[in-house]
Amino acid sequence: MNTKLKVSEISKIYPGCIANDKVSLEFISGKIYALLGENGAGKSTLVKILSGVVKPDQGEVFLNNESIKLNSPLDAKKNNIGMVFQHFNLFETLSVFENLSIDSDKKDEDLRILVNDILKKYNFKIDLDIPVLNLSAGQKQKVEIIRCLIRNPKVLIMDEPTSVLTEQETDDLFISLKQFSKDGILIIYITHKLKEVLSLCDEVAVMRKGKVVSVSNTIDEKIESLANKMVGESLNTIKKKINNFKNSEEILKISNLNFKSDDPYETNLNDLNLSLKKGECLGIAGISGNGQNELFQILSGEIITEGTSIMFRNKEISKLNPRERREYLMAFSPEDRISQAAVPELKIFENVALNNFKSSNFFEKGLVNEKKIKEHAKKILSNFSVNTDNVELKSQFLSGGNLQKLIIGRELITSPELLVCFNPTWGLDVGAINYIHETLIKINEQGKSSILISTDNDELLKLSDRICVIYKGKLSKIIDADSVTAEKLGILMGGGSID
Amino acid sequence: MIKIEKRNDVSRSIYFLTPVLAIFLTLFGGGIIFYILGFNPIEALKFFFITPISDLYGLSELLVKATPLCLIAIGLSFCFKSNNWNIGAEGQLIFGGIVGGGVALLFYNHDGFYVLPIIILSGAIGGMLFAMIPAILKTYFNTNEILVSLMLVYVAKLLLDYLVVGPWSNPEGFNFPETRQFSKTARMPILFDGLRIHAGIFITLINVFLSWLILYKTYLGFQIKVSGLSLKTAKYAGYKGKTMIIIVFMISGACAGLAGVGEITGPIGQLHRNISPDYGFTAIIVAFLGRLNPVGIIFASLIVALTYLGAETAQIFLQVPKYTGQVFQGMILFFLLGSDYLLFFKIKFLRLKKNEL
Repeated sequence: MNTKLKVSEISKIYPGCIANDKVSLEFISGKIYALLGENGAGKSTLVKILSGVVKPDQGEVFLNNESIKLNSPLDAKKNNIGMVFQHFNLFETLSVFENLSIDSDKKDEDLRILVNDILKKYNFKIDLDIPVLNLSAGQKQKVEIIRCLIRNPKVLIMDEPTSVLTEQETDDLFISLKQFSKDGILIIYITHKLKEVLSLCDEVAVMRKGKVVSVSNTIDEKIESLANKMVGESLNTIKKKINNFKNSEEILKISNLNFKSDDPYETNLNDLNLSLKKGECLGIAGISGNGQNELFQILSGEIITEGTSIMFRNKEISKLNPRERREYLMAFSPEDRISQAAVPELKIFENVALNNFKSSNFFEKGLVNEKKIKEHAKKILSNFSVNTDNVELKSQFLSGGNLQKLIIGRELITSPELLVCFNPTWGLDVGAINYIHETLIKINEQGKSSILISTDNDELLKLSDRICVIYKGKLSKIIDADSVTAEKLGILMGGGSID
Repeated sequence: MIKIEKRNDVSRSIYFLTPVLAIFLTLFGGGIIFYILGFNPIEALKFFFITPISDLYGLSELLVKATPLCLIAIGLSFCFKSNNWNIGAEGQLIFGGIVGGGVALLFYNHDGFYVLPIIILSGAIGGMLFAMIPAILKTYFNTNEILVSLMLVYVAKLLLDYLVVGPWSNPEGFNFPETRQFSKTARMPILFDGLRIHAGIFITLINVFLSWLILYKTYLGFQIKVSGLSLKTAKYAGYKGKTMIIIVFMISGACAGLAGVGEITGPIGQLHRNISPDYGFTAIIVAFLGRLNPVGIIFASLIVALTYLGAETAQIFLQVPKYTGQVFQGMILFFLLGSDYLLFFKIKFLRLKKNEL
């Protein structure tokens, strides 16, 4: 019998953001479905709803035409919906078999027979009696999959399963998934990797900003067309007046930037080179998870890499930490404004003091000069129209937009020569977005430079003078913004090359 | 269905009142234990908490016990506030005692006002160096400071054992495991005749004031606070994380070392096997009961010191083992952690609608 899973008019609203906006989708077993979207597009929320972790505000889920309630992960299991998360939920020091028996109500002997059958059927090679910590990432994932298979799932949801796998492991996974699908399990595959969608899936649903923007057969799609659907392709927004910087002074030059991480969840960077002129805005586009985070941290000095040369205003700064780089008039606005750029439990003026300059005398002779910090904070609040004048307020009580204005204000009030920002308008409302965009245009007009790392193509096209794309830790050729087309960006974001 | 949710804003006054609640709950729990053991709970609690401090000698004893507890807890608050889990203060205390005691023995029968300050300073340096071992291993080799600092406690204990039995044992001591009595110039001045309270209390009070100054009024204190709340932010602000780990461990170790040297030059007057009744471990409870706040720690140290005294009185009058004191210390921590959980999280009972079942 075919399994049919249907979500109907699902909505989920979080304070300040609509995660799912009347999402309706239908899945039938025998096909492999892709759910494609950027970080924050709402696909994780939808998956959490399907696995019982989050309850929707509105809408219903139907399994084989029967409405089902998913109030807890247990309900999802009862309805035979299996889920493999991106981060593994395994006890490292327990053996594979112990991990499997923990949440199974079968007798150990029966379970072992069942697991051995599964291993044989799908040609998995895993020793059941060694501790999980000795397994590779791919094998750990197989343990998670076996855990689902024990329960005879009708639906198997895979959340970004290949982010920690090697290419060989990815190929193996795809073979298994195709086999599961043949055996009648409905597979929903969540990803932002376009090539995987084309090589594995039959149908693809694209989500953007909480909505389903397209459902189509993968045969009819190409990498570029999917990329455009994912990030939006409206090119008719107002653009900044693009200047020619050929003769301007060079302010930043990065050569031979390489970064290799021990953390399998991070992206390695390969031989990045770029330069930036005075007054220019360089946009760095790309689908999230391609190395943007690592690049930002290297620019800010949170990560120091060997052998990289970063020349800023003719000084070598590659070995300096973020505070020392600020003294050379660099400023940074990270993506995570809530728990990195500011500390929610700290008061506004204390968060302002995070950005400490020798010349601002916040800490004279090592002592806190609270009066000076507060004056400075007041100035930021009024100059950058933050919706409060109470510097004693804890910053957790600021809305996202006001918090971002505070952070941008803190970074800009010292007139830096270069601002590096990473998704500065992520999750903000239209008013705040406009304010931030105007501010970023203004600093370029004042002859200050900026690097804008963003996953929002509209934003990049509106603000950048030149744009390049980061893909799998490599930078594409840098193109002038006025010759950028949606098609070109799409090709680059999917890993293709132009010219 | 039960749901546990984080509370968004916890008011400051309730935050400092919950330790008081924990203490009352401990008294209540202690009463029940005494009742089960066949005592009149009110009487027993009176023997435990009132009798020990009902005379001047008792009050002096209370301060004698609170002096090291408060000092160590103050040092630990630097570590705990910045997310460094130094639980080896006992070892740092003992090592400080060893170094200070060694210097005291070196100055045996030596006159001069400078003797005591040198001993005190060397004790502080001893504790400081001993605390730097877990700090350096953590910063450069990514070891876990909880394990390293804890295991070093036993290293320090065994080293002390070896010294008092072997090379440093008293030549006229009939092979008792102890050193000579330190000379008069190497002892903390006694404040009142007939009482044991000594000048070490001033060292503690000065340290409380200095800690308050550093934690709340300096750049270093601000950096400690930020790192404790969010390491990601500390990194983004460009604070030197490694240096800071080493600094907080040094402060913490120096305080523990000072406490150790205060004990051996104060009430004890020599080195032997048991120079500390686990002050270093108990101070962890003191630090948290005092909310890592210098003033709070003063009060907490007095209360926890009372459990030491109460256990001794209870042993004499009620014939219960003196380890009852540790039971009380354990209960304080248990109830504190329990009330903290309820303080930071709320439990919601959701009624399921019929059709959802």
